[in-house]
Amino acid sequence: MLVRDIMRSPAVAVSPDTTLQDAYRVMREQRFRHLPVVDGERLVGVVTDRDLRLATSALAAVPFPPGSRVAEVMSRDPLTADAADPVEDAARTMRERKIGCLPIVEDGRVVGIITGIDLLDALIRMTGIDKPAGRLEVRLPDHPGELARLMTFLAGRGLNVHSILTYPEGSESSRTVLRVASIETRQLAQELRKDGFEVLWPPEKPCPR
Amino acid sequence: MPALIYDPAYGRYSFGDDHPFSPLRVAMVLDLLWELGHRLEPVAPVPATRQDLLAIHDEYYVRRVEELSAGKPVRDAQSYGLDTPDTPAFEGMDEAGRWLVGGTLLGARLIREGKEKRVLQLGGGLHHARRNFASGFCVYNDVALAVHSLIRRGLWVAYLDIDVHHGDGVQQILYDDKRAMTISLHESGQYLFPGTGDVHELGSGVGRGLKLNVPLEPLTEGDSYLEVLEKVVPPALEHFKPAVLVVQAGADAHYDDQLADLMLTTRDYEQIFRRILGWADAFTGGRVLFTLGGGYSLSATPRVWTLLALLVHGLPVPEQLPETWRRRWGRVLGDRPPTAFHDPSPLRADIPNRAEIRHRNLQVADRLLQGARPYWF
Repeated sequence: MLVRDIMRSPAVAVSPDTTLQDAYRVMREQRFRHLPVVDGERLVGVVTDRDLRLATSALAAVPFPPGSRVAEVMSRDPLTADAADPVEDAARTMRERKIGCLPIVEDGRVVGIITGIDLLDALIRMTGIDKPAGRLEVRLPDHPGELARLMTFLAGRGLNVHSILTYPEGSESSRTVLRVASIETRQLAQELRKDGFEVLWPPEKPCPR
Repeated sequence: MPALIYDPAYGRYSFGDDHPFSPLRVAMVLDLLWELGHRLEPVAPVPATRQDLLAIHDEYYVRRVEELSAGKPVRDAQSYGLDTPDTPAFEGMDEAGRWLVGGTLLGARLIREGKEKRVLQLGGGLHHARRNFASGFCVYNDVALAVHSLIRRGLWVAYLDIDVHHGDGVQQILYDDKRAMTISLHESGQYLFPGTGDVHELGSGVGRGLKLNVPLEPLTEGDSYLEVLEKVVPPALEHFKPAVLVVQAGADAHYDDQLADLMLTTRDYEQIFRRILGWADAFTGGRVLFTLGGGYSLSATPRVWTLLALLVHGLPVPEQLPETWRRRWGRVLGDRPPTAFHDPSPLRADIPNRAEIRHRNLQVADRLLQGARPYWF
C-alpha cells in the first residue's frame, strides 16, 4: 500500500500571510488539524491546531494576537513524503520524528497530505476487517516455504484470503493471522490440523461430559 | 392463535448434502412437532417477487443471482460473494431464496394487518446478505426485507438477532435508519465471522444510537448470556418503543454447534425465548415475528427450534424425545444421540476463566449502554 492510496488529495493549504484567526476558521469548518503553508507553489511550513492553541494561549509569556501571521507560529521546512512511498515508511518517519502529518510533495508542489488518522485507516484496510471474514491464526515454523504451504492449502479449497499478517514469534516460529472469506473456520482448522499445521485459532471447543 | 409459516419449497434452499445449511433441520422440527402430537397447520406463503427484492437489493445483484440460478456462467460472481465455497451457486437458487423471503414477508404482513400477533417463520433469517453481496450462506436478506416492509408503512421495528454470528447485513442495510433498532448478540468479531459487531458500531446519521451490538467472549455460557441480554434489551426497547419485534433466532450459540464457540444449552434457549415473548408482551403489544437462522448441529438445532415453536404456541415442553423420531433421524443425530428433549443440566464442560468471561461480557454491555444512551435522550 502506497502513500498515494491513502493520502488526502488535494490538500487544503494556507499562505504564510493568513491570519491565525483565518487558519483557525479553516480548521474548524473543514475539521482538519494540519494545514500545509505554501508560498505560491512552494511548501514553506506546516501549521497545526496545536501551534495555534499554544501561540495564542493565555498561559504563553506573550500570547500572539488573533491577527498575527501564520508564518510566525508555523513549523518551518517540514518533513515531506513522496506519493510513491510505502505507507509503512511514512508511518516510521512520523513515529520517529513525533509528528502528526506529512505533506506529500511532487515536483516541488504539495499534492496531498497524510495524518495519523489516515495511517489508522490504512491499518484497518490492511487487516481486511471491512469485509465479512473469519479469522485463522496459525503458528508456522520459521522456514522457507511454510507460508506457501499454508496458502496452497487455502487456494486448494477455493478460499479467498482478505488479509494476511505475519510476525516473528521467538526465533523458531512465526505467527500468521489470516482473514479468510469463510464462515467455516472451525472446519478449516480441523483440516489444517490433520495436515500437520499448528492452529491457534479457532481452538478445539471443550466437549461437555 | 399464533401462526406458523412454512412451505415444502423451503427445502430447495440447499447448497448440497455436505453443506451445513441443511434443509434437514427444518424437516426434523416439523417431524418432531408431529411426533409430539401437535397438528400445527402451517400457513403457506408465495415466493417474493423480483420487485419485492429490489426494496433492498440492487438490480445488478439480483440479475446475477438469476443468471446463476438458471445455470448460466457469471464471470464476476465472486465479486458479489456468489458461487463461493460458503455460498455456492445452485440451480434454482433465485426461486429458492424468494420462497424464504416470501415467508418472512408474509409473517410481517400478518402482523401488520392485525391478523396475528405471534408468528414463527420456519426458515429464513439470512442476516448476512448485503444489498449487493452474498455472504455466509445468505443470498437474499429476508429479515431486512421484512423489517423494511414494516417500517415503510409506519410500524417501527426492533430487530433482535441471537444468531451466534453478527447480524451484519441487516445492520448495514438499516444503519442510518431511525425507524429500525437492531440489537445483535454474537460471539465477538475478534474471533468469529463476519468480524464486525463491535460495541462502537452504533449507527449513523439519524440512526445513531439505534444499532446495538453485544460482542461476547468465546465459551460464554447461558447465565452470562442471559445476564447481558437482560441488561441491554429491556432498556433499549423501553427507549425505542417499537410497534413490532422481529427476532432472528439462530440456534448456533449452542455448545454442540461446530461453527462457533458459545456454550448455550437448550435450557438456556428456553429462558431466552420466554424472556423475548415476555418483552413482546410488555413492549410491542405481543407483536413478534421469529425467523430461523444459523444452527448447524443436527442434534441440537431441531430441538431448539421445536422448543421455540412450542413456546410461541404456548404448548408444554416435553421431557423425552419420541422414540420414533429418534429412530427416524438416528443416522444424523451423532455419536451420542439425545434421549431427553433438553440437554443434560448443568452443562459440565471444562471452561477456563469462567469468571473472567462473565466479567468481560458485563463490561461490554456496560460500554454499549454508555455509548448508546447519550443518543437516546
